[in-house]
Amino acid sequence: MNGSKRASFGTEVALLFVSLLFLLPVLYLVIMSFKEPRIFYKPLQLPDRLYLDYYKQALGVEFFRSLFNSLLVTVGGLALTIFVASMAGYVLARRKERTFQFFFYLFMSGMVIPTVGSLIPLFKLATFLHLINTRTLLVFLYTAGFIPFASFLYSAFTKSIPRELEESANIDGCGSLRMFWVIIFPLLLPATGTFILTNVYGIWNDFLTPLIFLNSPEKMTLMPTIVQFMFNKQSINFGPVFAISVLAMLPLLLLFVLTQKHMLRGLVMGSVKG
Amino acid sequence: MNLNRKQFMVSILFLIPAAAIFILFFYVPFLQSIYYSFTDWNGVGKPKFIGWANYAHIWKDPHMTDGLWNSLKMAAFGLVVQNPLALLAAVLLNRQFRTRSFIRTAFYLPVIISLVVASVVWGQMLQYDGFINEVMIRIGLESITEDWLGNVWTSFPAIILLTQWQAIGYCAIIYLAGLQAIPQDMYEAAEIEGARGWSLFRFITLPMLMPAVTIVLFLTVVGSLKLFDLPYILTNGGPGTSSYTLFLAVYNAAFKDNNYGYATAGGIVLAIFIVIVSIVQLSATRRKEVEL
Repeated sequence: MNGSKRASFGTEVALLFVSLLFLLPVLYLVIMSFKEPRIFYKPLQLPDRLYLDYYKQALGVEFFRSLFNSLLVTVGGLALTIFVASMAGYVLARRKERTFQFFFYLFMSGMVIPTVGSLIPLFKLATFLHLINTRTLLVFLYTAGFIPFASFLYSAFTKSIPRELEESANIDGCGSLRMFWVIIFPLLLPATGTFILTNVYGIWNDFLTPLIFLNSPEKMTLMPTIVQFMFNKQSINFGPVFAISVLAMLPLLLLFVLTQKHMLRGLVMGSVKG
Repeated sequence: MNLNRKQFMVSILFLIPAAAIFILFFYVPFLQSIYYSFTDWNGVGKPKFIGWANYAHIWKDPHMTDGLWNSLKMAAFGLVVQNPLALLAAVLLNRQFRTRSFIRTAFYLPVIISLVVASVVWGQMLQYDGFINEVMIRIGLESITEDWLGNVWTSFPAIILLTQWQAIGYCAIIYLAGLQAIPQDMYEAAEIEGARGWSLFRFITLPMLMPAVTIVLFLTVVGSLKLFDLPYILTNGGPGTSSYTLFLAVYNAAFKDNNYGYATAGGIVLAIFIVIVSIVQLSATRRKEVEL
């Protein structure tokens, strides 16, 4: 590729060994979800048959409901961010006036200011807006959190789009809003892809936000549901907890395997620039 | 002029939705939190202004101090152990070999797994009759088996080691990108000058990698200050306060003890630490840019 050195055989074997160690917990998780109660607490024993009872227990109303909620807030948060940040990033890249520079720095400061201290005032604000214990609130919170990174990303990509394109669209009598969604937004697709692939995990795996801002089980997302499931089962068999964890992990695992090349590239970009 | 004015207004319209959401759900709560941190407030009723009392109390509260101390220990471990390991992994992963894409996937895979799921697996593996101890017994290390998460001395070190499972892969990928951005001819030129092995690494790779290093250091320190999920699920800070992190202390002060004013002050202290780290990182990066 770029002429980098070949690794020695010893290095390769050592790396293979370490990477198997890295995969071990994942394998352990999957194996445990198939181990029948008789051998469940014998850590080194492998299952001798496919025991599916834990999955039957895990695949209840609770699971499907929280899966649906997770999908809802994940899609909602990503979509709303893409909608507002693409427009904002676009004008932030194109306009040079003070107002826009001010907003650019305002957004960028969000990358540094941590949100820990704001959780309690947010709780109060959400109560005031009658948004407490709603999935809508989660969508807004994720969006607010993503706006700095996403608008930065969109503004960086906008700079690579030639201005002539907009000028000719203007001559054709295309309104600004239409021009943006019909001509510019499709050209920003790589930014959208990067944004989705690097942030879908953040929402799906989030535990803290739903834990604080949601309280009814009907609205709860997957991660707090797993923890609830775990605390409920503490004294009984842990098998179903493993099964539900595997099920919750599966969609992202598939997504990762299918898109990992793009994702790693985007992630690197995000972290280097963020 | 008129057209310009119109275009300006249209551009503002493009900006408004993002600005509104960001200000309402990010800036307003942030500014409010500064005010609340100087008050005695339990969430209902009126906050009572008490000056610096919350901040003074933080340093006497073992949850907060142990949490902060643990976070700093973890950051130190991250800098001294995790960081060089990630760099080593990246250097090795940058070489050519047949199983490279498999190994890269394996290294990175833990990163996408949620901390909740990670807690489920590791919590089970670390139990007294769990996988880790069983392996220890089999290889003859019976004397050092331990209830890893239930012991004051081992609970937080165990959590630190768990974080490595995800952190090493994450940092290695950032280093890998940094390595791949180094132009190959720099090495060739240096080799002609007679530089070999370690000196190539010391005088080309490392300086060229400085931006990536500062990013990784930043992520390591901030990550250790903000760690919450693992101790919350695995130990809830225990036994005693042995595995508290600053974030967990803030969370418990707010949502367990309803001591909101005090919790916000803890949040502000946490934020100040993060801002300090950011400033150090930014100035370090900028200095490097000047040198280059």
